[in-house]
Amino acid sequence: MEPRTAVVLAAGEGTRLRPLTQNRPKPMLPAANRPILEHVLDALVEAGIERIVLVVGYRRERVQSYVGPTYRDVPVEYAVQGKQLGSGHALSQAADVVSEPLLVVNGDRLIESSAVEAVATAFSESGRPAAMAVIERDQASRYGVVSLDGDEVTELVEKPDSEGHGLINAGVYAFEETIFEEIEATSRQSGELALTDTISRLIDRQAVTGVPIDGLWVDATYPWDLLSVAQEVFERGQTSEPESAPGVWVDNEVGVHEDATLQPPVVVGPDCEIAAGAVVGPNVALSRNVTVGPNATVERAVVDEDSRIGHGSTVIDAVIGQDTDLGVGTTIPGGPSDVRVGNQIHEEQQLGAVLADRVEVAGGVSFEPGTLVGTKATLGTGAHVRGHVPIGAEVVR
Amino acid sequence: MCGIIGCIGRGGETLDTLVHGLENLEYRGYDSAGVAVGGDDLGVRKTSGKIEQLREMLDSDPVSGTVGIGHTRWSTHGPPTDENAHPHQDCTGGVAVVHNGIIENYQSLRDDLTAAGHTFTSDTDTEVVPHLIEEELDRGATPEEAFRTAVGQLEGSYAIAAIIDGTDALFAARNDSPLVIGVGLDAEGTGTIDVTEGPYFIASDVPAFREFTARVIYLEDGEFARFDDGITVTDAEGTQVEKAVETIEWDAEETGKSGYDHYMLKEINEQPRALRQCLRARVDELGSSVDIDTVGDLSPSGLQFVACGTSYHAALYGARLFEQAGIPARAYLASEYATSPPPIGDDLVVGITQSGETADTLSALREAKRRGAETLAVTNTVGSTATRECDHALYIRSGPEIGVAATKTFAGQLAALNLFALATAEDSQTRRSVIPALRDLPGDIQSVLDNSTAAEIAEQYADAESFFFIGRRYQYPVALEGALKLKEISYEHAEGFAAGELKHGPLALVTDQTPVFALVVGDGEIARKTVGNIKEVEARDAPVVAVTDGQSDAELYADHVLEIPETHPRAAALLTNVQLQLVAYHVANNLGRPIDKPRNLAKSVTVE
Repeated sequence: MEPRTAVVLAAGEGTRLRPLTQNRPKPMLPAANRPILEHVLDALVEAGIERIVLVVGYRRERVQSYVGPTYRDVPVEYAVQGKQLGSGHALSQAADVVSEPLLVVNGDRLIESSAVEAVATAFSESGRPAAMAVIERDQASRYGVVSLDGDEVTELVEKPDSEGHGLINAGVYAFEETIFEEIEATSRQSGELALTDTISRLIDRQAVTGVPIDGLWVDATYPWDLLSVAQEVFERGQTSEPESAPGVWVDNEVGVHEDATLQPPVVVGPDCEIAAGAVVGPNVALSRNVTVGPNATVERAVVDEDSRIGHGSTVIDAVIGQDTDLGVGTTIPGGPSDVRVGNQIHEEQQLGAVLADRVEVAGGVSFEPGTLVGTKATLGTGAHVRGHVPIGAEVVR
Repeated sequence: MCGIIGCIGRGGETLDTLVHGLENLEYRGYDSAGVAVGGDDLGVRKTSGKIEQLREMLDSDPVSGTVGIGHTRWSTHGPPTDENAHPHQDCTGGVAVVHNGIIENYQSLRDDLTAAGHTFTSDTDTEVVPHLIEEELDRGATPEEAFRTAVGQLEGSYAIAAIIDGTDALFAARNDSPLVIGVGLDAEGTGTIDVTEGPYFIASDVPAFREFTARVIYLEDGEFARFDDGITVTDAEGTQVEKAVETIEWDAEETGKSGYDHYMLKEINEQPRALRQCLRARVDELGSSVDIDTVGDLSPSGLQFVACGTSYHAALYGARLFEQAGIPARAYLASEYATSPPPIGDDLVVGITQSGETADTLSALREAKRRGAETLAVTNTVGSTATRECDHALYIRSGPEIGVAATKTFAGQLAALNLFALATAEDSQTRRSVIPALRDLPGDIQSVLDNSTAAEIAEQYADAESFFFIGRRYQYPVALEGALKLKEISYEHAEGFAAGELKHGPLALVTDQTPVFALVVGDGEIARKTVGNIKEVEARDAPVVAVTDGQSDAELYADHVLEIPETHPRAAALLTNVQLQLVAYHVANNLGRPIDKPRNLAKSVTVE
């Protein structure tokens, strides 16, 4: 029987995406103009899923308030993971409400409905108690690398040392309801219970079907990945807004001045206002209630809800969080740059700046490429900012 | 408040539909519940207590039929007992009636019926109705005639539904109490329904049957409806009335708790979304304009706001907006206004009511109308009595609110009143400064929700003797609302005061056991004076919680701070209010109160 219930894991913060995840979990970060999670839910609904269980934890109110009790008429229930102790632990939180075969997906990774359908079909046809999607990817070492023998998964190795291209675990699974007992029986590794450890046990019993998928499969690991994620969304036209011209998606409830220019691909969400002389696009996603002031230029940027871009600002290669205000004449001239995250340096990233939520930028502030600014930071008039500005910091000059 | 559900044409699902409908009406508050089903053989099951108890009763002692009525009772005449629960029956048991409202002449009717040999088993006013119907049936009237004649003898307010043994029909009538008809079943995805085919539903409020249909007909005062194979609506004289079928846009599932422990917390967290809906396509920041349709064409020379409870606090805020714009405006408690109305002159009378069915507010609006005033309803409920009786309506678009304690609808009321003032009374300079602040509200409220420390403060003071709230100008109504919210759901004593009034009496109540929540925004004269009041209570050792944007030095004198983002003082009222909502919620939660259904309270009060 094909599963009709899907469990979506949406409890994790996504620490590598800090400072953007200060106020919300990774599934709520924007894939272009809508949360990543919304794309995942779309894929499930379009694949015919009839019941969704969302496992929530970190900043769960943000997920619950956004999704509510139904998504596109499919009932949504919530299971709470109090402490984030691994993906297996997360899934086991749904044990009380799921007693039927189930699909499991990650709430923080864009997938297509075809992947969900393929796993569901292969699961019901194979007769094995588990199925998992696998996909070919570069940078395979970021993920779990999978070996197949025919349609049977023979090995799953998490984040191996090997470099380059490979077949990886796509994070879309189908299980019999007995998976909850299997998780129970899996031993914890340094306090955490990874779903992949349970799957490895099943693999040892030759109980896992591998389902090769292709098409959209996008993961944001670092903040600047949100720019390439947006590009993927544009390429597939999955903005959920009406397309007023090729590559130009504009909600019906926006105010775009007749002397403003929208350059495709670009999406403008509800309640946005774009003033005269502004040039928005290409590759720009404005979420809800964003304001772009007169003569501002915005290019290759994701601007999240309730943020404002002041008069005559230049915003290029930028990720702007929620409720962040850029004053008059803000300059984010764009990448490339080396970006430091913790002890790691990521070289040659096309990144102007990442500003987290509720940053207050006064007039005339300029950003060196690769700047990361934490939540609620305040940048004073005319400041020149580089590197990493911590949460709540005040930069005077 | 009492809730009515009825259905016909549901076949074997009649009983399920009724019980489900009652559960969907639970939010109105109730202390007893019951159902009657008929068609061939009329059966009644009713009990005091919860719907679960009714369900258990039905499991052990089932009834079945093709037509039925159900009721959740909130006691007005007589205590919550099994006997007083609805439906009520006549002497023969062949008539069953559910009723919402108050029958003012019930005592004389009851005396006459008793004299005629009828036996009453309850203390309710409702019970006269089935006996009146029985009288008429005995005289040879048809069931429909008997129902009409019985209802025709009633004075007061009522929404009534009745079924009669051996008759596969449902009868309903309304006067001054809400009653709405649902038509057909929503065909999946298509939304096209033949309204001449059933099933039909009748209820006090749409959520009762919303999961079955979005097509509704609003029954007007004095109208009767008969449901059998079709539906016939007639006026008091018996002339058939053509009724429009309207489509409700609310999603039935929006009434789920979405992972929150209480509807109240869900609704507090929904405020950013509710405000987006309220403001959508109504404000244009770059053009400095507000569009609220024809309501924006009004140009009142004076205003009288009438409202009750939380809506009254919104009314105080609204009056302040117009006063500040130089237009005389005053807020009145609707129950007082209805019986002691002030001179109206040319004033516009504005009724604020979330449900649009608040009896006191309707009564005040009717009094104003009777005196020739132009009226405006500010409400959340499309098609409600208030919108149909007033000359104009302004919707707050907050979506359904289930928690008895109003939260997001108060925010919606304040936002809508801002739109109203900006559109009708204020100049472009004010619009330029206020509209951006309104557009910032969803993000600013989210910021409060993300960062609030109200839970910790509530835990620390949950056992306090009393809670006091003080504020000035726009923060004064918020102080009153903060106290009301706390009273409603925590059952603790709380009072709100104009900050300057504290020293004229209430200060005597302040001790080290009474935390004082001081609302301080900006750094102007108002903030400075409120900080002065903080020093007064601090000198009496009261713990002080400053709810502030940090622009003044209030924090220096406070034991705790609840922060809000800096914004226009008008918008700040919505932000400080969110902090106080959270304080009330967490205090009540610490005390283990039934937050969504506080004792003795009902969501919309449809009796005066």
